[in-house]
Order: sequence, then structure tokens, then C-alpha cells
Amino acid sequence: MPRPGFVLEVDERTPPLLVHEGESFRMQRFPVGTRVVYPPDSLPGIRDVPTAVRHALLNPVDMEPLTALLTPGMKLTIAVDDISIPLPPMVLPDIRQRILEQVIELAASKGVDDLEIIVATALHRRMTSAEIRRMVGERVFRSFWPKDLYNFDAEDPDALTHVGKTDEGEDVEISKRAAESDLVVYVNVNLVAMDGGHKSVAIGLASYKSLRHHHNVHTMLHSRSYMDPRPGKSAIADSATRMGRMLRDAGVKIFQIETTMNADTFPENLGFLNKREWEWSAFDQGLMMASKKANDMAPPRIRREFFRRIEAPYKLTGVNAGEVEAVHERTLTNLHRQQLVEVGGQSDVVIFGLPYIGPYNVNSIMNPILVHCLGLGYLFNMYRNKPLVKKGGVVIMYHPVPWEFHQIHHPSYIDFFEEVLRETTDPKTIETKFEERYAKDPWYTHLYRTSHAYHGVHPFYMWYWGAHGRDHAGDVILVGGEPKSVARLGYRTAGSLRDAIEMATDTVGPSPTMTYFHAPPIMIADVR
Amino acid sequence: MGTRDDLKEMARGFRWGRRPLVPKSAEPFEQPREDAVFPSDWARTDAGVAARQLILNGPMNAILHNELSLRVYGREHLEGVEGPVIFFSNHSSHLDATLIMTSLPDRWQAKTAVGAARDYFFDVWWRQAFTALVYGAFPIDRGRGGSGATDKALELLNDGWSIVVFPEGTRSADGHVQRFRHGTARLCLEAGVGAAPIAIIGGFQAMPKGRFWPKAGRLPVTVRYGEVLYPEEGETHQELTRRMSQGVAELFDEHRTTWWEALRRRERGETPSLAPPMGPDWRRKWEGSRPVPRRGPARAWE
Repeated sequence: MPRPGFVLEVDERTPPLLVHEGESFRMQRFPVGTRVVYPPDSLPGIRDVPTAVRHALLNPVDMEPLTALLTPGMKLTIAVDDISIPLPPMVLPDIRQRILEQVIELAASKGVDDLEIIVATALHRRMTSAEIRRMVGERVFRSFWPKDLYNFDAEDPDALTHVGKTDEGEDVEISKRAAESDLVVYVNVNLVAMDGGHKSVAIGLASYKSLRHHHNVHTMLHSRSYMDPRPGKSAIADSATRMGRMLRDAGVKIFQIETTMNADTFPENLGFLNKREWEWSAFDQGLMMASKKANDMAPPRIRREFFRRIEAPYKLTGVNAGEVEAVHERTLTNLHRQQLVEVGGQSDVVIFGLPYIGPYNVNSIMNPILVHCLGLGYLFNMYRNKPLVKKGGVVIMYHPVPWEFHQIHHPSYIDFFEEVLRETTDPKTIETKFEERYAKDPWYTHLYRTSHAYHGVHPFYMWYWGAHGRDHAGDVILVGGEPKSVARLGYRTAGSLRDAIEMATDTVGPSPTMTYFHAPPIMIADVR
Repeated sequence: MGTRDDLKEMARGFRWGRRPLVPKSAEPFEQPREDAVFPSDWARTDAGVAARQLILNGPMNAILHNELSLRVYGREHLEGVEGPVIFFSNHSSHLDATLIMTSLPDRWQAKTAVGAARDYFFDVWWRQAFTALVYGAFPIDRGRGGSGATDKALELLNDGWSIVVFPEGTRSADGHVQRFRHGTARLCLEAGVGAAPIAIIGGFQAMPKGRFWPKAGRLPVTVRYGEVLYPEEGETHQELTRRMSQGVAELFDEHRTTWWEALRRRERGETPSLAPPMGPDWRRKWEGSRPVPRRGPARAWE
């Protein structure tokens, strides 16, 4: 039986521990007494995936079997999660391909002719044709691209429809095609607890008009955490639920298919990244040293390419289909089985090693804003009940934070960094003063619609994403970060962990208690 | 850091060339198994006793007298005492058990076993065998507490064996007597036996923690036996522990001054405490390692 996650207490016997820092990693000795949170061991995967998928489609939860829902002449829309999950991209075949092929097979056998597949990108960048081909598989791609398989366009007024408003007055504007279909089949990959559920259609296929109701500073500050979608815990999840129910009441029929993966995040040749350090064999130690040395010596382009090519050998741990809420409940149970780690109490300092990849820089560059989002948005929020760090405590993160942007993917990020953050880092001020202008800027909209750029408002969302972490922490220190870009983010730089701890004592006093969150693989700290 | 530093750091952290260690908090939980311990009952058979006495009174005694300037006082307190008893002393050196076992009168030596920490002395077969043979040792779970830790001790006492235990639980790191734990007193009360105090003076100076052979120079070591303390009617283990600690303190006082003066101070309740001096660590170590003065006239070259 795989071992559950656990909390190590660093003692004299503890070897140096691996810490991710962007496109590199380091071995770090932690002070004695530091707590280290380790994820549970990887769960065994489902052996016969096609049968499991078929079983889920034919035996859905609180819904009729898919075969009964498919009728000749119907309008069927299949929506799929985009490239932002899973991370890193999984080895082929992608689970979405496996599910799509079975759904399409059933649709064909039931005489469905009007079938379109939408990549639910919301305000993310359009995926390239190569990326889509990789995700959906050659057969699906060749049959449907580009006419009936396409990226969602949240700025095409003809392709959107305003379905109505929720009880709280939130606009629900989603893809017209989805809203007018007889059935929407959503194919999801649930990498973190925030994914799936009503977020799939109500957010994945929504426009800025709809998204602005929950992607804002107020909602973020009231989401504790947004990785804990229990009612009342996460304002963003609550909002998505209201919108999803509104869609349901308006007659949008959704057949939700959700999948969960185990924790096999890194391939065999980087297997030491999946293991606990004291269990490393001599081979693992040699491999780590050789990889690190080669990586450090490689030119930046080669290094980036090396990391870009990493494919996660994720295995499926669960697939459920049917009514959105019932399916999502089962998905979360499955997800928690793999990711939940019980941690006793908060500490003065929390330490994160930020890996090379986040949801918004697949095949791209992790710019400073995404570093902020990954650290204070994602890793900080990987908790239930309360954060790992006390209110007013210090967050220490490892990342080089290069002043570097992907010109095609992140054009609005560049201006956000140069113009907005130069003036202020306060999320509320940024929202009031700048958001509208960036969101409606015709050039950014043009790039979003025709190139592969994230929407003009996306860097704002990234900044809001970290608002709760920023508000909660008394100080944020980046170990090894480029001082200029770190200062622009409003944080401080330290040369080493020792310096960072020394700096942290200004905020939390001498001899602080510390917790190192040893992720990836992804986990959720259930802080008691 | 350069490659050389990286390698050094890895070699140190991952203990290259040595047994790899698992961090304590990551050790898998295992129910301790009784049968994992090397059996030691053979060492308390007639043949075992004969072999032990041969070793103790032969090579062990010779080594001790060769390496140390050893004096033993107070053995007369054991005359007329009916066994079994629990011998207890301060503990600051690996010499302690050997000093007690070699200095015990024959009658007692033949029927006395030493309690030894299971985690330290009973981890590998050869150490278990040596400890059992030379000291007739039996394992004590010092970390575990509860009744299971002292089951074997109780069994031996009931069989008429006297035992040697160190109520401090572990050797002193600074030479000072540490707080006595209550296990020994509980054992006395449970078995209804007396406790014989022993003070070992100079053991720390001669062979402190971390050494496996006495320091050169035949350093003076004194072993003092005190009167056997018997549990009183209605006495609690806390009270008995206090008396035991007091018993050792009186022996130290007697060594420092005279029997008469120590007696007077005891009557007045003024026996100096064994507690280490207050203040930082270094001060305790400094005081604890202060050389014990040699007896008799100074050597010509001193």
C-alpha cells in the first residue's frame, strides 16, 4: 500500500533536501527542527483505462448513460481542458484523447452529426495546432480540426451568449455553441482541487464579462483557500457554483467527465525528483549530481528545452462521469486520497521551491508575474483549514526570477510589469485603476484572438491570484532571485537560505519555526 | 559552489562510505519484538557465572588496576545484608559497571546482573554476547517507560538476583550527577527489595563519554558503597527516589570531607546537593571535568 504523506522533522541525520528553483534545483541543508511536508506516495494507476472510461460513460452518477443521451440529429458539444493541465504535460496518449475517442465513437454509433469540440481556454492563450494534436490525438485532430475542433474565443461577440444572472447578480456569459447544444460533454483533468466541478463550463467557456465577477481581489481575499472548494471556504468556488447552477436551471445540459491522476510527476530518468532524499540510492545521488551539473552548464536555451521536453508518466487513478456536482464530489475524494497530508499547526516561516512550470507557461517562459502567481497563488493556497504559515509570517521562495517574458504568449504581462507594477503593487489599486483599460485594449484583444497571447486582463488575474498570500504574509523573500525583478514585485531577495532566515527574523523574531513544503509532486496540506 | 564543494556536501549529507541513516522522524514504526534480543539467560547459568567471575577477577581487574588508581570503600555495609538488592550509582562513564562488578564481594558478584540499555548494548549480536558474558547483563528499555521496560529486572529480582542500575538513565555529558528517574524506586517498591547506593568519583575524569579506554596517567577513581536503603511503609516512589539521590550525595560529601563531617551535615540537612552549577553549559562542563586531586604526597616531579 502506498505510504501516506508525512511531516519530517529535520535532524542531524537528515541529508540535504532537494529544492526546485525554476529551471534548476539545488540540494539544501535545512536547520535542525525544520518541518518538511512530503506528499503521499503515488497511488497505483488503473490498469485498464479504456474499460474504466467506458464504464464511467455507461454508468454515470445521477444521470442517464451517455448512450441514452445521444440521439440522431442532436447538437453535441464536447469541451476539453486546455494545456494548463496536467503539469507537466503527460506522456501520450493524453487522457483527454482516450476519453474523446470513446465519446466520439459512441456519438458516431448513435447517429450524431452535429458535433463540435471546443478547447475551453477562457482567457488563456489559444493552443497551437501542434499542441492540440498532441492533446486530442491524431485521429480526432484529423477528423475535426480546424472547423469543428477549435479554441474558445471569449472575445467573439457572435460566439457568446448571455444566459442570465445569478441570484447575486453575476452575469453568466458563455460559449453560444455550448449554451445552445442539446448536450455539453466536458472532459476534465483534475490536477488540483480547484479544477473541475462548475468551474469547467462556467469558467472555462466564459467571457471577461462573466469572469470578472469572481476573478477579482475581493473574491480572492475571501477564498481560504481556493483549493478548498467546500461551501463557504472559497468565494471563487461558491461563485462558480452559483453560475453553474444558473446554467443548469437555464437548461444547459452538462455531462461532466472528470479524471484524477496519481503523483508520478517526473519520468524515470529524473526519478529521484519523485523520491524522499534519504531513500535515494547511490545511483539516484549520482544521477542528481550529473543532471544538476549538466543543467547548470547548459546554455539557457538548451536548459529550457530540456525541461520543456519533460513528460509526466501520470497514471489514471479515477474517472467519473455524470451530473457535475455528484461527479466532482467523487473526484475530490479521489484527489484527496492522493494529495492530502495532515500537518499539525502553522509555523512562522514557510519555504517553497518553485518549479520550472506553472499552468500558464507550458511551452513558454515563467516570467516574474507568473513566479508570484505560482508561489503566492498556487503553492501558498495548497492548504485546507488554515495556511501553513501564521498570519504575518514569512514566505521564503526559491526562484531566479529572471526579467524575461515570452513576447508572443505574454504581451500584456510585459506592459503590466513595466507600467502597472512600477506604480503600485497593491492589488486593489491595480484593479481599480488599470484593469478595465487592459481588459478592453484592442491590441491585446487582437493578439488574444488571432495570435497565441493570453488575454489583456490575464496578468491582473495572476496578480489577484496571489492577493490572499500577499495579504496573509508579513514578508516575502526570494532566494536566488534577480534583485531588480524581485524588487519590482515588491519582495526582497536573499543570496542563501541562511540570509533569508536572518532577514525573516526582522518580521517573526529570533528562532522562527519553519516548514518546507516539499512540492512537486502536488499535495494539499490539511493544517490542523 | 564548485563541483568539489558539491561533492563534499553530498558526501557529508548522504554519509558516503558509511551506513546511511534515516531521519528519526521518518523511521518506520515498529512494535519492538522481544525475540529480536539476543538471549542473555545463558550468562546467568552456573557456567556463565563461573566464566564471568574469571573474566572480572582476572583480566578486568588487572586492567582496571593497571590503568587507574583505584580505591574501594564501604563494602562492609553489605555484610549481613540478605539479597537481593538493587545497586545503584551515579553514571558518568563506561567504567561504572565494570568498577561495580569487579569491586563487589564474591558472594554478591556471583549473583548480580547489570541492567544495560537495550538500544545501545543489545543492537548487534557480538555486543550483546559480550555484555551478557562479562556483566550478566539484561536489557532495559530506557526510552519506553511503563512496566514492559523493567519486566526482566523484576523477574531477576524475584529469582534472587541482585541487579545494578543507573537511575540517571544515561551517562552524564558533563560529569555532574543528573536527575534520578523514578524507575529504580518503582522497582524497589514493586519487588520489596533494598537499594544500595554507590558513588563513583573520578570516573568522568578518567574515561568520559566518548572514550573507550581510560586516559593515561592512572587517574584516581574511588568507589564508595553506602548503607542499603529499604523502602518504608507507605513510601512513594518519588520519596524513595529522593532518598536514593540523597544517599549518593552523602557518599560524595563523605569523599570530599570525612565520614564524621558528612554525618553531621546529614543530620542538619545540609548535605551539599549534587545539582550542577547554574549558568551556561561550559560552566557545568568546566566544573565537572575539574581533575580529582591525587591521594597521598605529591609526586616528586609535580
